[in-house]
Amino acid sequence: MNAAIISTNYPYIVAIILFCLGCLCILTQHNLIKKVIGINIMQTGIFLFFIAVGNIKGGIAPIYDPSLPGDILYINPLPSGLMLTGIVVSFSVTAFALVTIVKLYHYYGTIYAPDIMRMR
Amino acid sequence: MHLWDSMPFLLIIFSVLCAFISPVFARWKREYSPYLAIFSVTVSFLNSCVLAYRVFCGGIIYYHVADWSPPWGIEIVIDELSAAMLLLLSGCCLLITFYSIRALPKEIPEHATGWYYTVLLLTLTSMMGMVITNDIFNFYVMVEVTQIGACGLVAVRGGKHSTEATLRYLMLASLGSGFILFGIGFLYQVTGNLNISYIAAELAAVRQQYPFLIWATMSFITVGLGVKAALFPLHIWLPDAYSSAPSPSSAILSGLVGKVYIVSMIRIYMLVFGFQVFHDTYMRYLIMLMAAAAILFGSFFAFVQLDLKRRLAYSSVAQVGYIFLGFSLGTTWGMKAAFLHIITHAFMKICLFLSAGAVYYQTERTKVIQFSGLGYQMPVTMAAFTVSAFSMVGIPLFGGFITKYGLAMGSLEAGNPYFIILIVISGLLNASYFFPIIWQSYFTSEHNTKLVMDRVPLSMLVPIVIMALGVIYMGLFPGGPLSFLERTVNRFLL
Amino acid sequence: MEDYITRTIFRYVLLFVLVYGVYIVFHGHLSPGGGFAGGVVMGMGMILYFLIFGLGKGKYRRLPMDAAIIVIGIGGFLEGIKFLLPHEHGPVGLPGTLFSVGIISVVNLGIGLLVASTVLSVFYLLVGEA
Repeated sequence: MNAAIISTNYPYIVAIILFCLGCLCILTQHNLIKKVIGINIMQTGIFLFFIAVGNIKGGIAPIYDPSLPGDILYINPLPSGLMLTGIVVSFSVTAFALVTIVKLYHYYGTIYAPDIMRMR
Repeated sequence: MHLWDSMPFLLIIFSVLCAFISPVFARWKREYSPYLAIFSVTVSFLNSCVLAYRVFCGGIIYYHVADWSPPWGIEIVIDELSAAMLLLLSGCCLLITFYSIRALPKEIPEHATGWYYTVLLLTLTSMMGMVITNDIFNFYVMVEVTQIGACGLVAVRGGKHSTEATLRYLMLASLGSGFILFGIGFLYQVTGNLNISYIAAELAAVRQQYPFLIWATMSFITVGLGVKAALFPLHIWLPDAYSSAPSPSSAILSGLVGKVYIVSMIRIYMLVFGFQVFHDTYMRYLIMLMAAAAILFGSFFAFVQLDLKRRLAYSSVAQVGYIFLGFSLGTTWGMKAAFLHIITHAFMKICLFLSAGAVYYQTERTKVIQFSGLGYQMPVTMAAFTVSAFSMVGIPLFGGFITKYGLAMGSLEAGNPYFIILIVISGLLNASYFFPIIWQSYFTSEHNTKLVMDRVPLSMLVPIVIMALGVIYMGLFPGGPLSFLERTVNRFLL
Repeated sequence: MEDYITRTIFRYVLLFVLVYGVYIVFHGHLSPGGGFAGGVVMGMGMILYFLIFGLGKGKYRRLPMDAAIIVIGIGGFLEGIKFLLPHEHGPVGLPGTLFSVGIISVVNLGIGLLVASTVLSVFYLLVGEA
């Protein structure tokens, strides 16, 4: 694990850090909205990981243009396409969680998890 | 013959269509919305029957969605295990939908009926998609749809407890799906493929180069699917979610949703990584330990619960442990016992949850100490309950005995005879928390021992009885399902 | 909300937001963007409308939600064309021009409508719960 490996693969390391931060946020935060933010941070880490897998240094967006030279490098579009699906899934999970939190706020008048546990 | 070939795709697309028509239909004619769901599930069931027949006669079915061939497009592969799971899922769901017609109005608010059938059909569809897909990213999407559908099944009741349980389930399950997606990302990074067969071929070639990455991938997928399947230390969302959902939802969640994740986990381990990797890494021993802990502690926790559905929920934790134990033993008998227990446990748990719902329907009782005399007031329901409870304990002639026998044989084959002691202890624990209920309901009633018929509608009684008959069938004639699953087991344990 | 400034500015902004969304949808094959991004932009414009002018009254309150569900169906059908007609690509023009990909533009439009109305209906559900 020398410095060169770290400096060339920094997106992976950032992705792992984001993933761990998101997990920590889900598991340790007491505020329910912050838990949802944690889910989003975690998923962002995963998206970053996938897009880093698909990236090629010096490549351009994979859109065919006849005016460009033939030997140009295109990045891999598949992980980006997969992450589009991933973003939609994450959006729906977030929406569902937020609706549930709104309902919980109606029932309990708070979104602070220990208070809800106390009121049960 | 185009229609005949594209049957697996129609299986998925038709119920999705019905799922989204359902809320619109419910606003127009609310009282008929269950029948739309029944129609859709019946079509799925007939479709799966035909597919299972084709698999049984002609071998594995391969289908390419939209005619894109495998490395690029989504491939659907239906082998014996998938066919059995398709039959189990759609058949059980059909009975539960019948049950829901009369049971639901008592348990959920009226305006939610249309949406209930939406989430039910979505959950069923995505579960069926999960067992038949051969594309690992498509599998992830199906996992997510199942998760949202399952959360919807819990949330549909409304009220404080079920909303809270939904949120907890959703948080932990999305944590789990994050882990699954990261595992898929590792697999894609190593192999550059998303099709399971291609990943397996690539992985066999590069396995020696990336030992730690493969180990990390396996642990990510174990944790992710373990959270969703409620393997023991990761089960904390389960009791609240199962006990606060309406009874048909609890039956689906416990009997079908949890099982599908286990089947997917087995498929990923055996088809992607191969049995050799699974056997060589320590993941197998980890799962074995967690399963043993699940069997013991799940039964202990179930013993101290007073609410019937909570007791059944904790008992699900223990039963999931059986399946994981059989699978982690890694022998022929263990694997067969795991698959058989998936089927048997679906029958038993659905029967138990539906009986609990029927008891609530007639008497509004939910505590286990309120069962005295119920054996005379609800003879059919309690008979089915008793059959399932005996099967849970593992008494011969009932389905649970066969799997316990298979697990014992498997642990002998694997050279680990200690698990037999565990199985016996857990059988005793099961008896200790099921027999008091049965004893109360038949033998402790001082007043009104006059036998009367249940005051429960026929559409609720028939599914319960069919499930109980299924449990007895699995106990008396396990040969048929076993021989059907044996080909898959032999293919997995290559 | 009875704020004169937001109302006035919104009247000028909405058109640009919607047109920009449509632009992103139809240039999905030429530049980054496409159905999802453009759909979200269009949906945001509509959400902005309901944030500023409030939800409708009485029986008109649920009207956008119902319309959104119907548009979701239409969009889903347009998106499903690529599954119904797997190897048909429709009329193709010169590469690099706006209408050069045949059926993919239709699919993109379907995705755009679907995403816009989904965003709108999620907003409606969230507000309706409150």
